[in-house]
Amino acid sequence: MRLLLLKLCPVLLFTVLCVTVLGCNVVRITLNTPLTQNDVAFIVPGQTTLADVITKLGTPDSITESHAGVVATYRFLDMKYSRINFGWLLKPFSPVDTDLIISRTGLGTDALELLCDSNWVVTHQSFLRRLSGPRFNPYPF
Amino acid sequence: MLFFKPLTGSIIVLALVMLQGCAFSRGTLGEDIRSESVAAIKKATTTKDEVLSLLGAPDRLLQVNSRDVFQYYRYDAKVGSLLLILINFSRVSIKSDDLFVILNREGIVEDVILSKRTDGMEFRFWPFGE
Repeated sequence: MRLLLLKLCPVLLFTVLCVTVLGCNVVRITLNTPLTQNDVAFIVPGQTTLADVITKLGTPDSITESHAGVVATYRFLDMKYSRINFGWLLKPFSPVDTDLIISRTGLGTDALELLCDSNWVVTHQSFLRRLSGPRFNPYPF
Repeated sequence: MLFFKPLTGSIIVLALVMLQGCAFSRGTLGEDIRSESVAAIKKATTTKDEVLSLLGAPDRLLQVNSRDVFQYYRYDAKVGSLLLILINFSRVSIKSDDLFVILNREGIVEDVILSKRTDGMEFRFWPFGE
């Protein structure tokens, strides 16, 4: 009997897992490659030029002018979306389609901004805001 | 080793049974930036008019450091979806190609900056990890 239970255990676990993830969607959207502090560690304010940065990171998404100098901006985005429709549980028994959906979207946006002087030398660099590191978590409450 | 073969086979059969379908989608914004046209632009010799005839009007015109900057861009989005019976996975990857042509006050090209991030961008399905 115990041996039978041990054999059935993985099957039961798999069934429970399947039932709980019924009608599940997992979506991820990324815009450009997210940059980290390690990626920009080579930038030395006052020494590194914008050309050096472009050689390593590619062209920025935008270049604008400010009173303090030229601002080059690298933007990136990481969005995670997950959704579960518990209405699927009733599909075999109900004549109508019922939905009980929970979903959640996590949007992680950030940008690297470089301030350059008139000779295109980087004087300051900073991330606009740290990526919040969204997780796949459909629980919205 | 013999133990793994039936297990691998079972996983493949299970995956095939659960696989409803898959989808590939692609969206682009803007024209492809042709490398030949960019290569034809020479620093300190090519004029603004020649740039315009080679690449057309810029998507964005900026004034930076008392210089005119022509920006050309193109976006490419690739979507891969794996539709299983119980769960669907989708991954959307968006990247851009950007070209900046910096012109001096005389309208001569001072610098050309191009990066093609879309090169090598693949369709991805798995939303986890990197």
